[in-house]
Amino acid sequence: MPGRPLSRRTTLGSALAAPLALAACDIDPPPRESESSPATPPPPEDSALVAAVVAALVRAQSVLDAAAAAVPSLADRLGPVRTAHAEHLEVLVGAVPEADLPTAGAVSVPAQILPALGAVRRSEQRLQREVREGCLAAASGDLARVLGSIAASTSQHSAALATEVTS
Amino acid sequence: MSALDALQATLADEHAALYTYGVLGARTSQSATPALYDALTAAYRRHRSRRDQLRLLVQEAGGQPVAAAAAYELDGRLLRSAQVQAEALELEVAAVERLLALVAQSSGTVREWALTEATWSATWQVELGGAAGTWPGAPELA
Repeated sequence: MPGRPLSRRTTLGSALAAPLALAACDIDPPPRESESSPATPPPPEDSALVAAVVAALVRAQSVLDAAAAAVPSLADRLGPVRTAHAEHLEVLVGAVPEADLPTAGAVSVPAQILPALGAVRRSEQRLQREVREGCLAAASGDLARVLGSIAASTSQHSAALATEVTS
Repeated sequence: MSALDALQATLADEHAALYTYGVLGARTSQSATPALYDALTAAYRRHRSRRDQLRLLVQEAGGQPVAAAAAYELDGRLLRSAQVQAEALELEVAAVERLLALVAQSSGTVREWALTEATWSATWQVELGGAAGTWPGAPELA
């Protein structure tokens, strides 16, 4: 069964604030030295991890934006993955209230459709690796689940884009 | 729910998924709908391997793997290829949800395996005619 019902806004906040409810299990992460209460700040390693995934999403979004700008006919095709990543970002940024949204550097994408799609494909593959790494390293199980869903979504969109290109 | 409980729940679901895939494959014509037949065959093999791995993981966690039921009730009519495809898609949607629950309850190699399988089931939904989503396996976030 999925975790307890959580609202979209509070999922990660509560995940980060109440880590390791699963400590009794032998394959779960070990319990922390200090006792955690709901008011405990996010575990530092998970805060840094969320920031890294946010930066990866911002970078991937910048590639999608650049591709849509370079090849306007791609904008509709890239719309679903851009929307998905915007929602991924919204949830993750909301989990770390004081985090600043990083800005991506300038991205150059070829103005031809196939090279532009190639750049998108490589960018999405890199994003998936980074999100996956975050999922595997997360101390919070709830955070790992959210990052796992983002990785699965990214893979789905890559598959859908590949299907559209070849059909 | 402990990690062992999550493993057992995932294994129980995989028993049902394998049974269902067997029925779906039996009702699909290899000559009339070869793409669907191939998609079902590939999925059956993946879920069989997943079930075997789950049995091992349950044993490693100190549990006795849950056994499969003799039969499972299938929802709806499965007379047309579109119905078969929709049923397979539903199986993969449920599999992602269950596997991400296991991701939350585990760490290390178990989490890594569960994430790989969740990603495969999510991606296979596109092969089965499903649309890419924003929160596969975590519908409460949508």
